[in-house]
Amino acid sequence: MNDVLTGLLQESVSGIALGCIYALIAFGFTLIYRATEVVNFAQGELMMVGAYVNFFFVTQFSGVLGGVNFWVYLFAFAGSIIFAILFGILLDYIINRPLKDEPVFSVIMATISLAIILRSLTAIIAGPISLVPASPFGDNTFNIGSVVISILDISIIIWTIVLMAIFYFFFNKTRWGIAMKATSTDPEAAQLMGIPIKQVYRFVWIFAALVGVIGGVLLAPRMALLDTNISYLGLKAFPAAILGGFGSIPGAVVGGIILGIIETISMGTLSFHFEWVKEINDIIVWIVLIVVLMIRPNGLFGIAKVKRV
Amino acid sequence: MLKMVGVETFYGKIKALHGVSLGVEKGQLVCILGANGAGKTTILKTICGITEPEYGTIHFNDEQIDHKDPEEIIKMGISHVPENRRIFPELTVNENLLMGGFLIKDKDLFAERFEKVTAHFPVLSKRSSQQAGTLSGGEQQMLAIARALMLEPQLLLLDEPSLGLSPKLVQEIFTIIQDLHQAGVTILLVEQNVNQALKIADYGYVLTSGKIFLSGTYDELYEEEKVREMYLGEGKYVRRARLWRS
Repeated sequence: MNDVLTGLLQESVSGIALGCIYALIAFGFTLIYRATEVVNFAQGELMMVGAYVNFFFVTQFSGVLGGVNFWVYLFAFAGSIIFAILFGILLDYIINRPLKDEPVFSVIMATISLAIILRSLTAIIAGPISLVPASPFGDNTFNIGSVVISILDISIIIWTIVLMAIFYFFFNKTRWGIAMKATSTDPEAAQLMGIPIKQVYRFVWIFAALVGVIGGVLLAPRMALLDTNISYLGLKAFPAAILGGFGSIPGAVVGGIILGIIETISMGTLSFHFEWVKEINDIIVWIVLIVVLMIRPNGLFGIAKVKRV
Repeated sequence: MLKMVGVETFYGKIKALHGVSLGVEKGQLVCILGANGAGKTTILKTICGITEPEYGTIHFNDEQIDHKDPEEIIKMGISHVPENRRIFPELTVNENLLMGGFLIKDKDLFAERFEKVTAHFPVLSKRSSQQAGTLSGGEQQMLAIARALMLEPQLLLLDEPSLGLSPKLVQEIFTIIQDLHQAGVTILLVEQNVNQALKIADYGYVLTSGKIFLSGTYDELYEEEKVREMYLGEGKYVRRARLWRS
């Protein structure tokens, strides 16, 4: 019995860490959706690009600095952040601005093609071989009682909390953050206040790229191998966002974490004790999603949205 | 102060304004009347740059403002209180006012304006941290006007401020408009409440299907039988009287 409990706790921590990644991607989805009603299907790919770019920087800097150490990771991370900001600006120019007056559907199609292009481009540039990502924390673990916790997982959780706290402060306490909220509820009224909504949309894309890239940087070391398939995690962040209530930021975070825990536990303890759970591992997330939507059609945090005509 | 000449605005392929020319002098309260869909709102939207005119020119203080971004036009001193108030329902009252003063970079100036505006609308300071969506219709309208006043505009565009309000509140809103007018704010008012609007206005334009059909002061417009029939609610008397006479 104690073993089961230990296992569950251990899986929960690891599940929360995975859930944090989902939460970051779902957060990216939600940001863009709230501001522009566009579902950005390339959010998972942004994460993948982040993982690759960080890997590239780590290799480059360790070449320059002669060996992998703490500074290499720090510089690589800073490089990835700068890359994310530039990439966000670029996406604003190539996706958002040219399609400003087009139907939302066209923009969604554009994000799907962006996803495919990014995946292929990354594969072409990085080559067909899967890379082995490194982490500043290595495989280090520590114990609380008999529960073994990986430092990497803790770092993911802490980073996500810090990031969310920064965004919370920004959206509720700063002039620009409140202006972004105002723009996502009523862009035309925001324009009448003199809020430069073009810049607001640029910020939205930058933020989406930032959470995507940071998600990728955090996630990569959790994977044994780095390949372009990690972008498919983005598709799992999608039910996370729906579970929490699409369009709700706390919903995206909570939905992500719940999903991460469910997935990890079902792959671990549940599969170990119940043979049949193994069979439904891949779809368990979707089953939970359907059940939740049956009880709460708008998701956990969703409010029924009446569209203004 | 504001001069529109031959402005034509399209929504896609549909022509909403068929060459509208109108002027507003400094300190005036000018009123645009017209039925639903006549293009009143479009005129205001075209002035503040939300929709761009296809033809024609708009000058504000002798500077051409058509084809400018809304931000620039608002910076020049035009504020717009849109139809249906359009406050930000999820933000608090104070945050709405903060957005109204988004363009004010100077903190002291912002505090001063904030003080002034909330003093003018004491109801709002009572509800300062309440979500704006929970306010009553009249309070929301006051918030919308207060929000626009944060920038101390030279020209205030008001779109149907009395829409959906109870008669008592309509009265209150009209008093506020009159007060603003007396304080020297130039106002361009779009109203369906024609009788009251014309009474406080210095000048009125009557718009039918995207064209200016008549213009004049209250007395001049009142002389026109058509205006009385169509907008001042005296149609049935005028027409019936004539029927009986013949």
